Amino acid sequence: MFRLIAKSLKTGSLTEASPFAARASFGFPVVDFSRCTACEACARACPTGAIQTAMPEPGRKTLTVSYAACIQCRACVTECPEGAVSVSGEIDVASYSRDQLARTGVFDVARDTGHATFTHVEVVPGPGLSESAERLRERIRGRLGRSLHVRQVDAGSCNGCELEIAATTNPLYDMERFGIHLVASPRHADVLLVTGPVTRNMEIALRRTYDAAPDPRIVVAVGACGCSGGIFGEGTYAAIGGVDRVVPVDVYIPGCPPRPQAILNGLLVAMGVREARISA
Amino acid sequence: MTTMATVAAALGTAEGAVRVGQVGELRLDADAAALPGLADQVMRGLDGRLMTLFASEEGDRFLLHHVYSLPALRTFLHIAAPVERDRPAFPSIAASHPVANWFEREVMDFFGLEPVDHPNPERVALHEDWPDGAWALRKDFPADAVVPRVTGEFHPFRPVTGEGVFQVPVGPVHAGVIEPGHFRFGVAGEPVLYLQLRLFYVHKGTEKRFERLPWRHGIFLAESISGDTAVGHALAYAHALERLAGVTVPARARAVRVVLLELERMYNHVADIGAIATDVAFTIPASRAQVLREGLVRLQDRLFGTRLLRGTIAPGGVRRDVTPESRDLLLAHLPVFEKNFADLITLLIDSGTFTDRVDTTGILTNQAARDLGIVGIAARASGIDSDFRRDHPHDAYEGLRFEVPVEDGGDVRARLMVRAREVEQSLLILRQVLDALPDTPLAASMPAELPARASALGWVEAWRGPCTHWVATNERGEVTRVKITDPSFINWPGLALAVPGNIIPDFPVINKSFNLSYSGNDR
Repeated sequence: MFRLIAKSLKTGSLTEASPFAARASFGFPVVDFSRCTACEACARACPTGAIQTAMPEPGRKTLTVSYAACIQCRACVTECPEGAVSVSGEIDVASYSRDQLARTGVFDVARDTGHATFTHVEVVPGPGLSESAERLRERIRGRLGRSLHVRQVDAGSCNGCELEIAATTNPLYDMERFGIHLVASPRHADVLLVTGPVTRNMEIALRRTYDAAPDPRIVVAVGACGCSGGIFGEGTYAAIGGVDRVVPVDVYIPGCPPRPQAILNGLLVAMGVREARISA
Repeated sequence: MTTMATVAAALGTAEGAVRVGQVGELRLDADAAALPGLADQVMRGLDGRLMTLFASEEGDRFLLHHVYSLPALRTFLHIAAPVERDRPAFPSIAASHPVANWFEREVMDFFGLEPVDHPNPERVALHEDWPDGAWALRKDFPADAVVPRVTGEFHPFRPVTGEGVFQVPVGPVHAGVIEPGHFRFGVAGEPVLYLQLRLFYVHKGTEKRFERLPWRHGIFLAESISGDTAVGHALAYAHALERLAGVTVPARARAVRVVLLELERMYNHVADIGAIATDVAFTIPASRAQVLREGLVRLQDRLFGTRLLRGTIAPGGVRRDVTPESRDLLLAHLPVFEKNFADLITLLIDSGTFTDRVDTTGILTNQAARDLGIVGIAARASGIDSDFRRDHPHDAYEGLRFEVPVEDGGDVRARLMVRAREVEQSLLILRQVLDALPDTPLAASMPAELPARASALGWVEAWRGPCTHWVATNERGEVTRVKITDPSFINWPGLALAVPGNIIPDFPVINKSFNLSYSGNDR
């Protein structure tokens, strides 16, 4: 017993004062549209369809990169012949809607040569990040205070997200110092932290868990699968897809799996303590 | 005598019937009626162990596959038998070889082939709201089919009778941060009389999904079969593709793969040891284990740009190198880790309050483990000396010196000690590999297209146990069937036998000592 105490005193506190100061070695792809020729090499290389191209009208082409489905495999980075795709070091990416995680570049396509010239980045219709942040704060106003009780629901995950959610409770990240506490029952929970893809066989259990949580129940979708179905896709016989296909989602934390810092950040966003952002 | 002749003689088949399928994999075509007899001979005469059993659809008929490991001969034996569409049934071997129990029921659930004389021909994978007659892995079943929910009979659990005897249902949504599954305990007070499982809550249609993805993208799906075994499953899939394509993986890639696989083993074993401490409320070592695990995971992030080793394996080789700087970082980390890990284990086993909880808790006897064909850590903790790294060497394991730790207790402590000793062996393996990293390219180039109408097995001893993948192509060289076997699928019935006789409060620690994957099982 004395040895245990002595050793603990010697070790001291290992908790990191500012977990968000770190940079991710391996974040999300960022397309430099000014160098992009919309050749589609990245879209073909992407295993989850996180990069999509479209021809909305003759002479026009769009290229959309969505972090919702991105599994951070970096295939687009290596396959881009122009070197136009780089990797961001953001460690705390989150959003309030699936659309906010997407960025679309619009290109004019020359009729004769087929050469694509970047014209502008298309603005996603719907509320922006700060507007959504305000709405969420409105919903939780005065009810959550500075503590958050979280019930985690694995609705179909490969367990990768669970490993990183568990890591947020280790002594280095120490989630509880932020007032965030994992609870055993949805009836005690302010937040449902849901991983996916939601499977057919978990859909009913997820709905029941949602119904069991008291208002205002905030739902946080975790991981590429929770945000979009990820590599498992949406609408298959077994996988319904993103969590928002089954219950309303307030905060999205993309990544495969998201880092502990990203999960921590997403929960602080759900509390209204931090505001979601995609890039610095 | 050649391996082929030995096998043919033991099975009493004509010489020449047993042929080489791929390197390390013998093939035998048989009649379905002969399968039970062959199973007896392989398991008793050749000390074979059934590693996977599955079906595939080949044109107008089905094939039923039995794949055995023959460790003494260092080869797999793959027996395939046709099943005709108008007589969709095959003889079951589950009554005499319980390891086949869930496998055969899964074939029934997903292919609609009936295991004749199966002792318990109930659904294993399908839940009660899935209609009869919809077989998801048949070719005429579209991957995006919308299947209506029907009212069916809930999974038949054993009834409980007697005074003071009752059932405790748990899950699928659990109290902790773990995967979903339903456990039904029959209890008399605290002692558990029996445990029954109902899984497949996280069935994601993964095998069907492989059929829709280009094979190059399949590697990322393989990483998500079980998130804690990203390297293990990606590697098993890559092995199958490489055997299919006849590609030889360069020596450096083989070495880096060993580094990745051993790191995966270490971070999982350390985490599990900490979780066992957590489940008996011994928080100081639990926290120490978490810190050690986080240290490894961060190191992985620095070395390879990925905390959980995703995106590291490529068909034909690896996508990340161990650079001289990474090598130095790793070699500097290992001694510190080794010291702290040894302290952790001492802290645990020197504490009477801890050993009290783990000794003789959750015993899986050697006989039960043999009967059920248990694999991996759980097998080695019950006295079964089996490890693909030694018995069917893959990647660079052939030339490495290491031991396969085996314990006899079959209890929580034995499973903990197997992990502890495996970590020591991993350190030994890592040092050997890092001392002599061959200087070759990181990957051999894969052909643009896979050979048509071919198939191959891929296998890996991952941290939890053996992962096997069987990949087959169609006439256009596209992947037409991937059968994934995670060790959890074989081992879950072992948990159900280890729990009875213990008290309910010990279930979490017994469960954690197996730490089986739900996602790997359900796919």
